[in-house]
This record gives sequence, C-alpha cells and structure tokens, in this order.
Amino acid sequence: MITFKLNGTEVEVEEGTTILEAAKEHGVEIPTLCYHPAFEPYQVCRVCLVEVIKDGQSKLVPSCGYKVEEGTEVLTHSELVLKRRRTIVELILAEAPNSERVLAIAKDLGIEKSRFESKREKECILCGLCVNACNDIIKVGAIGFAKRGTQREITTPYGEFSDVCSTCGACASLCPTGVIKVEEISDSEIKPILSEFDANLSQRPCIYVPFPQAVPNRPVIDRENCMYFKTGECRICEIVCQPEAIKYDQDEEITEEEVGAVIVATGYDLYPIERMKEYGGGEYTDVIDGLQFERLLSASGPTQGEVRRPSDGRIPKRVAFFACVGSRDPEHHCSYCSKICCMYMVKHALLYKERVPDGEPVIFSIDVRTSGKGYEEFYTRAKEEAGIIYIRGKPSRIIKEGDGYEVWAINTVTGKQIRVRCDMVVLSTAIIPTVGAPELAREMRIPVDEHGFLSEVHPKLRPVESLVRGFFLAGCSQAPKDIPDTVAQASAAASKVLEMFARGEILAEPHIVWVDEDKCATCKVCIDACPYEARELDEEKKAVVVSDALCQGCGCCVAACPTGATRQKNLDDEQLSRMVEAIFEQEKEHSGSD
Amino acid sequence: MAKLANIGDFEKLMETVKAGRESSARSVTVCCGTGCVASGAHDVIAKFQEELKTRKIDAEISSKATGCHGFCERGPLVVVFPDRIFYQRVSAEDVPEIVDETLVKDKVIERLLYSDPVSDEKITHEPDVQFYKRQQRIIFGSNGMIDPTDMDDYIGLDGYAALAKVLSDHSSDDVLDVIERSGLRGRGGAGFPTSRKWRITGAQEATPKYVICNADEGDPGAFQDRSLCEGNPHSILEGMAIGAYAIGASEAYIYVRAEYPLACKHLEIAINQAEDRGLLGDNILGTNFSLKIHIKKGAGAFVCGEESALIASIEGKPGEPIPRPPYPAEKGLWGRPTNINNVKTWASVPYIINRGADWFAGIGTEKSKGTMIFSLVGKVNNTGLVEVPMGMTLKELVEEIGGGIPGGKKLKAVQTGGPSGGCIPSELMTIPIDYEELAKVGSMMGSGGCVVMDEDTCMVDVARYFLSFTVAESCGKCTPCREGNGRLLDILVRICGGDGKEGDIELLKELAGAITDGSLCALGKTAPNPVLTTIEYFRDEYEAHIKDKCCPAKVCKSLITYSIVADNCTGCLACLKACPAGAVSGEKKQVHVIDQAKCTKCGACYEVCKFEAVSVE
Ligand SMILES: Cc1cc2nc3c(=O)[nH]c(=O)nc-3n(C[C@H](O)[C@H](O)[C@H](O)COP(=O)(O)O)c2cc1C
Ligand code: FES
Repeated sequence: MITFKLNGTEVEVEEGTTILEAAKEHGVEIPTLCYHPAFEPYQVCRVCLVEVIKDGQSKLVPSCGYKVEEGTEVLTHSELVLKRRRTIVELILAEAPNSERVLAIAKDLGIEKSRFESKREKECILCGLCVNACNDIIKVGAIGFAKRGTQREITTPYGEFSDVCSTCGACASLCPTGVIKVEEISDSEIKPILSEFDANLSQRPCIYVPFPQAVPNRPVIDRENCMYFKTGECRICEIVCQPEAIKYDQDEEITEEEVGAVIVATGYDLYPIERMKEYGGGEYTDVIDGLQFERLLSASGPTQGEVRRPSDGRIPKRVAFFACVGSRDPEHHCSYCSKICCMYMVKHALLYKERVPDGEPVIFSIDVRTSGKGYEEFYTRAKEEAGIIYIRGKPSRIIKEGDGYEVWAINTVTGKQIRVRCDMVVLSTAIIPTVGAPELAREMRIPVDEHGFLSEVHPKLRPVESLVRGFFLAGCSQAPKDIPDTVAQASAAASKVLEMFARGEILAEPHIVWVDEDKCATCKVCIDACPYEARELDEEKKAVVVSDALCQGCGCCVAACPTGATRQKNLDDEQLSRMVEAIFEQEKEHSGSD
Repeated sequence: MAKLANIGDFEKLMETVKAGRESSARSVTVCCGTGCVASGAHDVIAKFQEELKTRKIDAEISSKATGCHGFCERGPLVVVFPDRIFYQRVSAEDVPEIVDETLVKDKVIERLLYSDPVSDEKITHEPDVQFYKRQQRIIFGSNGMIDPTDMDDYIGLDGYAALAKVLSDHSSDDVLDVIERSGLRGRGGAGFPTSRKWRITGAQEATPKYVICNADEGDPGAFQDRSLCEGNPHSILEGMAIGAYAIGASEAYIYVRAEYPLACKHLEIAINQAEDRGLLGDNILGTNFSLKIHIKKGAGAFVCGEESALIASIEGKPGEPIPRPPYPAEKGLWGRPTNINNVKTWASVPYIINRGADWFAGIGTEKSKGTMIFSLVGKVNNTGLVEVPMGMTLKELVEEIGGGIPGGKKLKAVQTGGPSGGCIPSELMTIPIDYEELAKVGSMMGSGGCVVMDEDTCMVDVARYFLSFTVAESCGKCTPCREGNGRLLDILVRICGGDGKEGDIELLKELAGAITDGSLCALGKTAPNPVLTTIEYFRDEYEAHIKDKCCPAKVCKSLITYSIVADNCTGCLACLKACPAGAVSGEKKQVHVIDQAKCTKCGACYEVCKFEAVSVE
C-alpha cells in the first residue's frame, strides 16, 4: 500500500495505482479525453494534468498514466492545474467546437468559447482512441496517424479504403467528436447491428440489455457479432467491467426440469413486409409495420417517442395506415382475420395525431371490425372527434415519389381511383405463428391448424387445452388475439393447471392400455408405435410397461403388438365383440319391427 | 587481421603500433570533415598523395585524411607534423608548393597561414591560433591526428587501452565508481549524471540489457556528433564497450541519421575492424565479456533524438516519444533495461578511464565537469566546432575563441542549446558554461548549439525562426506541443507581420506555460524557451512590434520601408539595376524613387548603395 496526500487528505492506495484511479477511488473527478480504461494510457490530450509535489518540487503530470508515489502530495484542482487545464482545453475546443464531450469539460472549467479559431478541416482532436482501439484492442490496424506536428491526422494507409478494416465500428464508437466514420475507412458493406427490440429501427452494441425491464436485467453478448467471438481479439467489455462479471466461457445451458404441466405461449410474428411486393417489399425505408410504429411511439424507443421517419428523421406530415395487409387474402397470403389490427390502428392514428398535431393520419381499410367492449365507441371517437380520415378500399400499390410516397387505391365507396401522397406508411401486417412454433408443436406432439397455430381440443368447450394431456395453450400461439383475450386465455390455462394439480391425480381416458406381462415378448414394436412416449421396457419385469398418465388410449400399440400382449381397457376383444353383437341385435330389432 | 587472444596480445600490439608511429616523424594531415570536404579537401589530399608519390618521398612522409578539426570556417585545413604548421583555405593548386617548400625544405608559406582577425598577425603553428588556443580539446583532440579508417592510428594514441584496463582489473562497480567520481554528465542535453543512469540500468533484474549511442543529432547547425563519428569512431565504440561492461549488456545500437553517410561508413568500418581484432564481438580480448554493436540508421527527424522516440524508431515503430516513467533504464528497447547516452558522453569514457576520474573532475565547475563541444555559429568571426572546459564564460567563448563579432557590430545575444534553447542577452555573457547556470537564465546546455547574434538581429523574428523549426519537427502527439506551439508560432508570425495585438505577450506567456508544464516530451516542454527568454530580456522589441508597428532591428519585412534619401542620392542607377522587383525608378543623375507598392523589401538597394542614400525605417 502507498500513502500519499490527495488534495490535502492523506489516503492509501494499492501500489501501481495511477493518480486518476486513486482519485476516482476517493471520489475526486478529474476530466479526461484520451483515456480509456481498456487501453494503456496514451497520455496525449493532457486534460487530466494534476500537480505532484515531491521533495518540495512541484510538477504537472498526466494523472491517467502517472502512478502514485509514496509520500507525495497530489493536487487535482490547484490554481496552477486549473490554469493550465483551461489553456489546454481551449486549444482542444478550438478544433472541436461541437463535441459534447469537449464542451462539457470546457464548461466545467468556465470556458464558453475558445479564444482560438479552428485551423483544421475535421473536428479531430487526435486523442488517438480510434487508432488505439483498432491497433491494440481489435488488432486490425486499419487506421493510424499520418504526418506530424500540426499536420498530424488519422487516416488509412495512403488515405485509401482499408482492406483490413472489419467495420466493427470500435473506432467510431469511441470518438469523442464523432468525426470518425467507418464508411470513410472501409468500402465494404457496413452491416449495422440492429436492435431487435426496437424492431430494427435503432442500432445496438454487441453487448446489450435486450430491453428495458428485461428479466434478469443483465447484458448479454451477441456472439454472432462480438469481435471476441469472431476474431479472439477486443475484450474491451471484460476490461472495463469493474465487478469482473464478463465471462466469455459462459455457455448456454440446457436445464432439465420435471414439470407436471406445460402452458404453451409462443407469441406471434408479423407477416413479412418483404412479401408485400406491391407495397415496396421492404425496399422503402419509411414503409414500416405496426410494431415498428409502436416503437416510434414509445418513450423508450429509438426516437424517444417522437414520430420521425426512419429514413431521414423528419416528422411525417401525413401517415397512411393500411389494414389487412396479408390478412383476409386467401388467394395470396393468409385467409384469416388478424383480429387486432383495426383497433391498434385507431390507437396509432390517435397517438400520431397527438404527437404531431398538424399531422394527417389516413387509414385504408376494407371494413372496420370493432367487436369488443368499448371498441366501437373508441373507433367512433377517433373518426368523428379526432378527425382521422378513413378510406374504404385496399391500396393496390405504393410508389416512391420524391422524398415521399404515393398510395394508389380505389375508394370502394365512391368507386373512384385515388392517389394519396404521404410521408410514411404503416402496414398492419398479418399475425402469423412465431418462427419455430410449428416445430415446437411437433416436438410436443400438439397438432397445428393449416396456418400453423396450435390446435385446441374443442373450439368452444375446451379452448385452452391441447390434444396432448398436460399441455395447455395461451395467447397467439393458438390464434390471433388481442390483449384482453390473451390475458383471459392465459388465466384460464393457469386455472386448468391448478385444477389438475389440486386433484392430485389425472382423469385418464377409460380405454387406456395395459400389458399382459406374461405374453410380452419385449420386441419393443409397441414402443416405436406409441405417439405419446407412454411405453418403456422394464428390464426387471422383462416386459413393456405403460404410463397411465401419458397413455391417450389411441390404440396404435394394440394394433402393432404381434403377441396380443397389449390390450386396451374396456375395449378387449370380448367387449368389442359384445358391442358388435349388441349393434347387430339392435339392427335386427329395428329391421324386425319394420 | 589476427584476433587478439588476450590482454597481453593487445599490449604487445599497442607497443608495436606506437613504435612504428614515432619513426615517421614528418607527416601531413588534411581535414576531411564534412565542412572541409565541401570546400575541396578530397582534391587536396589526393594531390598530396600524388605529389609525394611522384617525388618518391611517400615512404618517408605520410599523408592522411583526418576527421574534422573544428575550424571549418577556414577549411580545407592542412597541418604539417611534427611542428603543426597550420595552413588554411588550401586548394589543390597549393599542394605542390607545400610539398616542395614545407615538407621538403621546411619552409613556411606565409600566404597560407591564418592571420588573427584582431591583431592581424600571421600564426604559424596550429596551437597558437586563437581559435584553438583557448580550447581544451580532449575528446576532439585526436580528430586531427588520426585517419578514422585506420584502427592503428587510434591504437597508437592509447586507443582501446581503457577497455583493456577495465577488462583486466576493473569490476563493473569499479567502472561505475570511476565514472561517478569523474562527475560525467550526459552530453545529449539534459545533463543527467552518467554513472547514475548506468547504475539504474545495471541494477535492473530484467535481461538482456541494451546500450544505445544517440547519434541522431537533429539540432540544426550542430555537427559535433557527426564530426566525432566521422573523425574518431573508435573512441565511441570503446566508450560503449566500457559502459556495456559496467552495465552488463552484450548488445548495443548506434542510432545515426542516414543523412550522415560518412559517419555511418566510418562507424561500420570501425565496428568491423574492432570485431576482427577481437576488441568487439564475442569474448573480447579472451574475456567473458562480449558486445555486438549494431548500426541503426534513422530517417532524420529531430524528435527521434528524444530517447523514447529513438527507441521506438529502432523497434520499427513511428518515432514518437512515449510518456516517462517508466524510463528506458527500466523499460527501454524491446521493453528491456536500456542505457542511452550521447556520442560525446560515450567518447568521454575512455579518456576518464585512462587519465583518471580526478583528472576529469578537475576540469570545469562544481557540478559540470569536463569539456563541452559547441558548434559556434552566427555573427561571430570564427565559426566551427570548439571544445572548451566547462566553466568558461560565454564572453570568453564568443570573444576569445570566436574572435568577436564581425563588422564591428555589437553583440546582442547568444542562443545556446539548439532550437529550444534560450536567448541569453549580452549583459549576461559573464555566466559560466554550466548546466545549472544556463538553466537559471532560461536556456540550456542542450547538445551544444551556440548561435551568436549581433545588433541587427530582431529577437521576435529569432523566436519565430526557432519556433518554426520545433513546430515543423513536433511529432504532433500531445495537445500542448502540437496545438500550443502551433498557436505560439501563429502569434509570432502575426506580430512579425505587423498584426500584433494588445495582450499578445500575455497570451504567448500563458500558452508557453501550458506547453512547458503540459507537454509529453522535452521537445514540447522546451520549445517555448526562445519565446520566453526573448520576452524576458527583449520585451521592448515585442512592444515596439505590437504597439508602434516597428521592428527596431529592421528585419521584419512588413514593418519596414525602404526609401531614397534625396540629399544623398547621386542618381547612379545602382539600386535601380539591383532591384529585382523593378520598384526603383529614376533617371541617371536624378534622384531615384522607390515604388512602395512594388517593393518586396529584399534590401538589395540598401546593400548596393554606396552613398547611404537608401534608408530603412
Ligand atoms: C526533441 C529532442 C531531441 C533530442 N535529440 C538528441 C540528439 O540528437 N542527440 C542526443 O544525444 N540526445 C538528444 N536528446 C536527448 C535524449 O533524449 C537523451 O536525453 C540523451 O540521448 C541521453 O544521453 P546523455 O545522458 O548522454 O545526454 C533529445 C531530446 C529531445 C527532447
Ligand atoms: S486523459 Fe490523461 S492525457 Fe488524456
């Protein structure tokens, strides 16, 4: 441990600690620009200068790189330090008058404006963060310093596009003035990493908290894009994480839990805009789907709740909303009604109008379905009071026109062809089963309908149970539905589970199977035949046994069993022949009476 | 050449060489330092060899091309031994006469002698020349006597005796003690005690350790290191070997700029010769001590002389300084303990070992021991390289060795220490040459630059000039040096251009403070010295530029006007013909006129006018 005086107070720090780290440890803030905890201190901006008094001699040193020495006195804000720091910051500010980082540091020092005029073309303060990141962290070396003195600049070799740049963007993300642009370094296609949660409307880093209020609220690493997983270099997050929580060797784990029941709630996806060729097929940046518009409206979304066009950030003055995009179109897309669009479009249009009072929402729909408590009133209010324009008719095309769009449609009320110019289009695309849901259903042996939604046992009498015992359905896994319906169904499924658990036993079908152990030849043909995995070989008994809880009484095993050891309860041969006989007798009686 | 197997072998060789030298009593040396070569020394030496051969006396009288004698101003220089008859400004045509008259008949040729600028007296013998008389040539002394490509010349003058002595009976601690007692300090600029640096490097646990000779010599106008590398390379190698032995290094580098081809060549030859003789390489003189010396050619950036930048450059990285600590002694070349010293520091070592620490410590002042080599230039009669004992005053240096200021002008200031030294005004000429004394007045020893300025020098312009060098040579890595020195220069340019503003002096001082306190390396930290010292000692000149828009020394073009003094003008047309801009008009025998719109202020009219009819205001 080393003892020294920090601004007059004696403090202790570990040997090898820099003054900057020591100060931070003791709650003293020192401004820095070129410092980054992931790098060896580069020590060039000199903003972090502090005064060190050693053996009665005072000198200024960069705190970011200078290690604390025993018995010294350190002054982080002495008159001399502040005076020198101000001059240096003014020199930097002259070349980066718009950088928020620099402006903030300047403001803290009481500087409003630099006395010096800018001399350089680019707002680069040559702090070297980008170069050091590229060289020392990413270990690519696509950029470096060129020329010297006042001519010094950051560039690629010979100023040409770099062929080694991996477009990882580390340089740009660290730049305090925003002057570093990956597209000026590499001409390879730059694939930004888009935020899934923001429906691709914003970018996210490779390490990120999936969404606000995520449970658990911890960052995850996107291994596909993470430089460390791609190249073995970088590890910036590991270096900066003070609690040392980053563990690259943490793997996904498969945990097995024994459960008594499963509620399947897979959620849904939206029908891809790419399939709607007539609406640009995803080529038009400002033609978005309902979920994207939802993110635009969200206060925690990419625009902090302001409605702005993804293409240029402009506030759209007229927004067209299309209903039934991909829904109710059996010839080309989905035959069913997605159920929720009509109502959320009302909400979207109203919120848009609220955020952009001079904006004009125009809704195109075949008809408006408002079945639900209070829904019709909501719709009427929107139409009559908020002045939302409804046009009856399904648009046939969207054409890009200048920096806006033109919607072509037939107003089916007037029968006239119309063309509506707008700045942005929101497509209420159909609700479709989540990617992977049909595969999951197959694993669970739950049947799906022709659209891929999971089938319930009975649409009216048993709407939350699947055909597989112990598996229940909730939400859009079963069919498109809105929030109240989803909540109701989920609650019902939960109640069903509780009911089952409360009883402590399961009501089995009356004709589940049993095995006559003496006859069983352990050929295991029945095990393969059973679709419910209800059978297994009991090595001790030397016979196949049946789980009563799993058996659905389908009878496949009975038909498959070559020795006749497998038999169905209440349906053995004798019972069957009695039934047959009974039927024949009834037939006879009937025909006799005729 | 046979390898010397042990120290005994070496001693025998030295005896033989010395015996051979004494027999050839008469010889002639021609300075073939860069200055003399530029004025034709190669032709002179070739002519000597030819003439001696045709007269068939080349066996008795040897001729040799030596390194720089220092008095470049008067080159090519010829010295006839053993009497040291000194001929200056010799051309090839003079050679037959020298051979016939001086070498054969022992007669002095008056015409080629140097005449003292003060007394007008002709000086016959080299040591009597005022320029040499007041010098104390220790590390530079042998330059004029040896052919740098002939190792025996060096051995004949006790060369490698110090290394042999160290290897025979000195422990590394013994060497460190001798160097410590001698008080030797680094000659590369900062004057850090050499023994302390060696000790720190030697005490490090990490291995291998490296030794570096800094021969980058980036200061404009300095050529001391070059002259030593060219003229006496073995003395540097021997010093490095002794240092490496004391430190425990077995690999060394000489970092020399590629613009010094002769220095590179002579060093390379010397290394090969020393290796062939077993004085370098594996198991030197049969001992356990080995040393491999590499030459690394630098591309000639001033900042590459800074030790951390130099190390980066050897490592193949851009020559930019890195923050210290850690110092090279702890973490230097390839991250290993590295001791770096200047050429002159290394070259001093053999002399200290040979003649003893007390002898060396007896020269100089309390804290600055030994001699310093200055490159004396500027407005002074005798320019060249001079080696003087520490403690000599600047006045003695300028007046007695330099022979005063030409043209009867007055001395205004002396700038020491290279481009980032300070300007010391004439009132302070009595201060002794000493690291601390120079620092006290705002200048420094540096690597021995010494620029003499007379009354016609504008001190603002001087500050601007030196700063323009450091700004151009700054690597640009840290903010204070890159931006700060750049802004300092902008302001100086503005002041010299007549656009100085109230408050400029304060702004210059504020910036200089931030640069001095905040820069990463000594290039930045010291760059404002010329500005600060000129403000300190010549503030009135700054004020004249800023407030009165006038340049008292009449140097800054934007602030002066040339005009014709009608009373004196005879209408001779001389200025009219001399003016390159066609700004002078007038008829013969009529008073001329200068068109101010066309005048470029080159001063040609002023120079040619014989009647003091051109005035500059
Ligand atoms: C900008 C700059 C240039 C330098 N140039 C040289 C040089 O050309 N030669 C030299 O020996 N030292 C030069 N130095 C000093 C070296 O950094 C270092 O102090 C020196 O080589 C140490 O040797 P010494 O202890 O023998 O003086 C320079 C320093 C700076 C800051
Ligand atoms: S933050 Fe320390 S020098 Fe830049």
